[in-house]
Amino acid sequence: MRKQRWTIALFLILFTVALYSSLYYKMIFGAAHHDRHVTVILKSLNVRQDFWQAVNKGAEAAAKEMGAELTVAGPLQEGDVNDQIRILEQEIDRKPDAIVVAPLIDDRMPGILAKVRSAGIRLVVIDTPPDMKPAPVVVSNDHVEAGRLAGETSLTETNNRPIIAIISDAPESQISQQRLEGLKQSLAGNKESANEIYYAGNSEDKAYAIAKRLLIQDKPFNTFITLNESATLGVAKLLEEQQKADVIHLIGFDSSVDEIQLLESGTLNAAIVQKPFNMGYLGVKTALRLIDRKKVAPATYIESNVITKLNMYTPENQKLLFPFINNK
Amino acid sequence: MSKERKLRVPLFPLKSIQSNISLAFSLLILAAIVLTSLVSYQVSVNAVQSNSKGYIEEIIKQVNMNIQSYVDNMENISLLAMTNKDVKYYISDNSFISSEDRRTYEKRISDLFQSILYTRTDIASIMVFGYNGRFVSDRRITSLNPNARLQEQVWYKTAKAAGGKSVISAPHVQNIIRNEYRWVVSLSRELKSTDGITAEGVFLVDLNLSVINDICSNINLGKKGYLFIVDGAGNIVYHPQQQLIDSKLRTELISEVIQASSGSSFVANDADGKRIYSVQDTNFGWKIAGVAYSDDLIASTSDLRNSIVLYSLCGLMISLLISVWLSHRLTKPIKELQSDMKQVEKGNFDIQTEIGQMNEIGQLGRSFNMMVSRTKFLMEEMIHNQESKRKSELLLLQSQINPHFLYNTLDSIVWMAEQKQHEEVVLMTSALAKLFRASITKDQELVPIRVEIEHINNYLLIQKMRYNDELDYALDIDEAILPYKTLKILLQPFVENAIYHGIRNRYGIEDGLITIRGRLNNDQIVFEVEDNGFGMTPEQLNRLRQSHEGDKGIGIRNVNERIKLYFGHEYGIQIRSEIEVGTCVTITIPKLE
Repeated sequence: MRKQRWTIALFLILFTVALYSSLYYKMIFGAAHHDRHVTVILKSLNVRQDFWQAVNKGAEAAAKEMGAELTVAGPLQEGDVNDQIRILEQEIDRKPDAIVVAPLIDDRMPGILAKVRSAGIRLVVIDTPPDMKPAPVVVSNDHVEAGRLAGETSLTETNNRPIIAIISDAPESQISQQRLEGLKQSLAGNKESANEIYYAGNSEDKAYAIAKRLLIQDKPFNTFITLNESATLGVAKLLEEQQKADVIHLIGFDSSVDEIQLLESGTLNAAIVQKPFNMGYLGVKTALRLIDRKKVAPATYIESNVITKLNMYTPENQKLLFPFINNK
Repeated sequence: MSKERKLRVPLFPLKSIQSNISLAFSLLILAAIVLTSLVSYQVSVNAVQSNSKGYIEEIIKQVNMNIQSYVDNMENISLLAMTNKDVKYYISDNSFISSEDRRTYEKRISDLFQSILYTRTDIASIMVFGYNGRFVSDRRITSLNPNARLQEQVWYKTAKAAGGKSVISAPHVQNIIRNEYRWVVSLSRELKSTDGITAEGVFLVDLNLSVINDICSNINLGKKGYLFIVDGAGNIVYHPQQQLIDSKLRTELISEVIQASSGSSFVANDADGKRIYSVQDTNFGWKIAGVAYSDDLIASTSDLRNSIVLYSLCGLMISLLISVWLSHRLTKPIKELQSDMKQVEKGNFDIQTEIGQMNEIGQLGRSFNMMVSRTKFLMEEMIHNQESKRKSELLLLQSQINPHFLYNTLDSIVWMAEQKQHEEVVLMTSALAKLFRASITKDQELVPIRVEIEHINNYLLIQKMRYNDELDYALDIDEAILPYKTLKILLQPFVENAIYHGIRNRYGIEDGLITIRGRLNNDQIVFEVEDNGFGMTPEQLNRLRQSHEGDKGIGIRNVNERIKLYFGHEYGIQIRSEIEVGTCVTITIPKLE
């Protein structure tokens, strides 16, 4: 008898709880996501690094749109691996739901990223995919596609007769390798184009010297493709000095104020510009999809735009070249 | 079951009026609270939604006014420049100004622009371009970007086309000044000569886009809500996610916003979620749209919902407890009455239930009390009647002398008289007379043991004579017990049984011996009637002990009952018997003076 009595009491309580939980569910349906926390770790948090600041802005836009909490961290100096690893470990301890990281190249990095995973934190790698197994979810600029765009631009600029000298930074640079790969793909049909590769590191002067030597040798170049900013500036300087800007085409990557001026003056014929804002946005969005256990593509690539003198002041390209609205 | 019988009233018994009452109470309360909380939640949500709609409209109006004030300001600056004589002179196509004078004019105009710029941080630059090729800005030395052609600038072209009316451009990067790339909104206007017909130049004021950006980005319409501005052609002036729209990662309902009239709002419900667009027109052709997500609005009511749920749960708990307590209280007197009734069921008629208030249950209790006391009275009366009836029956029985005994004795007397045994006749007749006298004295139930012994002596004497001395008897009575009282005719039935059932059932009556002992045992007097007769088997003995009827047992049972009736239950008789050895009856009575 006593048991049944409790059964009735229990039934009443259960009934109440069930009623309220259904009510509660109905009330909060659609507004269920509010606890997700994403940490974004950049290669640099320096305010003067436009690229990473744009990534930051994209991440913020995604977090706001999806209603997630966002923390952005990164070393002040680009390339400070120790600092980035320290920040990563610190963030692992804080246990966010997901970490979106643009890892610097270092032997310790795969280990740290594995640690992120084993801590039960979702991992999304942006910008440069690290060498680790199983491969993490990647949101990256499509550097191969960017290289292909550069190659195709050189074809149109030279009426399909490009003879190209390529100036890169270093053979081991991943991004440059991928750009080179894309270049070769697009130029595969043109046997004439002498695709010689020179390495100038990150030095403007070295690139200048290489270009000068090449011009003196009087080889029949009509196009320089420079894979990083310093090379672009070095070659542009020489072309302006020797007033060969009209004769020799220059195609570069990325954008800076200097490159924009070169574009305006016509020395730089085209720049292949990435979309860092999109990278930050898609990185965080992918992380949120991972948190929600939705389907996620293993790799998301972001296309680049070809910016020339003619299209550089269209509304969307303006926004790409000048991502920030501030009083400089 | 034993728990049920307890006097303690359980708090929540099943199948009881209490549980029915509390269940009904609980369900009623539950329904009422659920209904109330649902309705109040709905009402509050509606209130919140209409409030926030009004709030969004208000915000957009404020933004509109803010932006309008900046545009008005640019307009005023342009009017100032237009009416300024120096400016007019400087750009007019005349030869009054020599190249030396030009410098002073330039300086004066530049000073004017500078002083305006000092007071306004929102203005990026002020410039005048004369169709005569002259230009002057707020800077001392103005060097134009050699790669940016003036005639190709959108603001320049539109101002020229508008012919004297001011033109507001979409936000763009102003690259007309060397090494400067600023996001601005340009107001440009063609300047006319004093005659008001000839166009002589273009005036430009640049507003820092950061001003508009700051206004818009600081507006929070809920967690996800935002604000955006489009111009009349559908170009985005400001959108927090303009880059995503440019990259086709996001779409915006720009055409719907352009079609919407000022002050109106519409609801969009697609993959991005349900949201409300509120649209406002500005005076210069832009449209400001505020977008609020409806789940954001509902999320803002989450506190409300939480508190409603919390309070109603608390209320529910409390009212459930109260309903249990109330039903317990209501049914408590019924239960007490019930438990008292159970006591009566068990035979306790001394119970009287407590009567609290004189309500229905109190009246029920009173009736119950009356019934119980009446029943008790009737039962006591009945017991009393029974007892007296039994007593009278016993008295009757004891007064009876077995008629066979009388006939037999008289036969023996007759027979002895015929034999002329006069002495024996006298002895037997006197014994019989004594026997009768003893049984006739009705008044006294209790007689001294001496009398009783005399009586049994007479009886045995008669029997002995009847059986021609074949029956013998012995009396072994402690002298000390003789003064004490005993029941009248206590021993006779046992002696009778000993003769008729014990000895006579043997092969004959020869050597039959009946021994009667009487002695004191502490506070008790113990009699023993022993014979050497046939005895009884254990089965017969058992039957005798248990039997209530039958001629064999009736005398013994009567005596036993009489003893218990007079002296109490601890007294009575015990029978020992063994087949072919004999029977011994032990009678225990109290020592009574």
